Amino acid sequence: MGMRTLKRRENIKGWSISTAYLVYTAIFWGYPFVWLFVLAMSKWNFLTPRRFVWFNNFIKLFTDEDFWRVVINTFNFMLYFIPMVLVLSLLFAMALTKVKYFKTFFMLSFLVAYVSSGVAYSIIFSKLFAINGPLNKLTYSLFGVTIPWFSQPQLAILSIAMMITWKFIGYYGLILYSGLVTIPKNLYEAAELDGANRWVKFWKITLPLLNPSLVMVLVLAISLTFGIFTEPFLITGGGPMRHTYTFMMMIYSNAFQKLNPGYASALAIVTALISFGCVILTRKLIEREVSYS
Amino acid sequence: MKKFWMLLLYIILFAASLLWIYPYIWMFMSSFKPSSEIFTKFWPSHFTMEHYSFILKSAESMQRPFVRALFNSIFISMTVTFAVIITSAFIGYALSKINFKGRKALFNFIIFQMLFPGFMFIVPLYVLMRALGLLNTLSAVIVPGLMSAWGIFMFTQSYKSVPNEYIEAAKMDGASDFWVILKLMIPLSRSTASIVGMFTFIGIWDNFMWPLIVIRDYNKMPLSVLLASFNKEYGSYVGPILAGSVIQTLPMVLIFLIFRKYFLQGISMSLK
Repeated sequence: MGMRTLKRRENIKGWSISTAYLVYTAIFWGYPFVWLFVLAMSKWNFLTPRRFVWFNNFIKLFTDEDFWRVVINTFNFMLYFIPMVLVLSLLFAMALTKVKYFKTFFMLSFLVAYVSSGVAYSIIFSKLFAINGPLNKLTYSLFGVTIPWFSQPQLAILSIAMMITWKFIGYYGLILYSGLVTIPKNLYEAAELDGANRWVKFWKITLPLLNPSLVMVLVLAISLTFGIFTEPFLITGGGPMRHTYTFMMMIYSNAFQKLNPGYASALAIVTALISFGCVILTRKLIEREVSYS
Repeated sequence: MKKFWMLLLYIILFAASLLWIYPYIWMFMSSFKPSSEIFTKFWPSHFTMEHYSFILKSAESMQRPFVRALFNSIFISMTVTFAVIITSAFIGYALSKINFKGRKALFNFIIFQMLFPGFMFIVPLYVLMRALGLLNTLSAVIVPGLMSAWGIFMFTQSYKSVPNEYIEAAKMDGASDFWVILKLMIPLSRSTASIVGMFTFIGIWDNFMWPLIVIRDYNKMPLSVLLASFNKEYGSYVGPILAGSVIQTLPMVLIFLIFRKYFLQGISMSLK
């Protein structure tokens, strides 16, 4: 068999397998992708004929009080969530590098939260944090106070941030842990010879060399923030005073309750752009070239 | 002095681990407590199965068929998981072991696809499902998940480490590509198959927003949505809700514990 025919046969074979994927992707990815932009520039209620309105949806969005409420809520949430999840998962990762025994047990205990079901853990936390729940029983018996975890605006945001932190520490901690173990030990030894203390070693060696893993965790945490739906939808319904209303809830309610898919599509595009923007900005600000010299 | 700090570290880690598992313990224990003791006693006067029999039997008469939902969830998750593993295994083979024109471009396109968050597609995909007449059917949850760019990416990467000589040797013996994939490539990439299968299963089992949107009929709901709707409508039935939560959680946790080795591998693999 000549090289030519072999090459042709490979081409045919390759494309006949790939075609299955391309057809599927064209229908379930390409078509919705195009329609996202068509819808975003349309006024429609799923039933009457669609009307093309150019950028009206976007203009309306920027004068919509709900939209700005959601933007503020999202950054308010990140203010609690990002430092909390970053510091705690870093502490967890560093603790893991120090211990010799039970390492797998510690990892699994934290990771099992990561595979909790969104619906089930929302229900469980709403019971645990309830006014008559176990947590308030504890604070009442210790300090004589009950804390309205889900009914005071800032506390509600904090509570949801705590739940999501609970869920993701194991996963993020493990990412940081695998970053930590690649840092060469002799760097620390050399620094010790130069008389560096723990604090100096942490700031001058650990943090700079952990940069790629830290950036990855940050990017994951930021992207996750824009996709939050289940927790506030089930626990607070967006309240109190709309402070836990999220982008996803706004897309959901505009598309499927107010029957305005055009507006919801415009919102989805803007949400994606803000999310991309935050990720790019973070990378610009934090990402550093890592060198081991 | 060093010993003291080590001991303290272990104590803190054990305490933190317990704290992290505590919500699970509380859920599990409470689902077996008599209703009046769920919020009052840590250790109940006796254990009872009444909440489980309620959620699995009596809830049916409240239009919340949990057994049905459990089977819907199992059917949906198994179908999608199986489909994703098979399609990813075949397309990954084409992308890593068949030398065809445009292969590189196709692979780049798949990476490009993974950049876009799923929420962008919710509204237009709903419009598509509606046009196809699939709303309110299990297919509306299954069909959009049958192939996965991420799955294909994972298999392509993992196949790259399988030496070409293996494939050539198998072909010398008269094996077809089909046979090579099923009997050689998939078994050699067992850990990738486990990782892709596990994350797909967990993701689809736990999916809430999409089935909430496309399924209105209680008989066709997966467990996640039915449980949420029961919780909303009958919030005072705390015991049965907790029993339902245990049933919803258990498969995910079990799969995680069975495949924990691959899970840890998967995390370090996704970092490369």
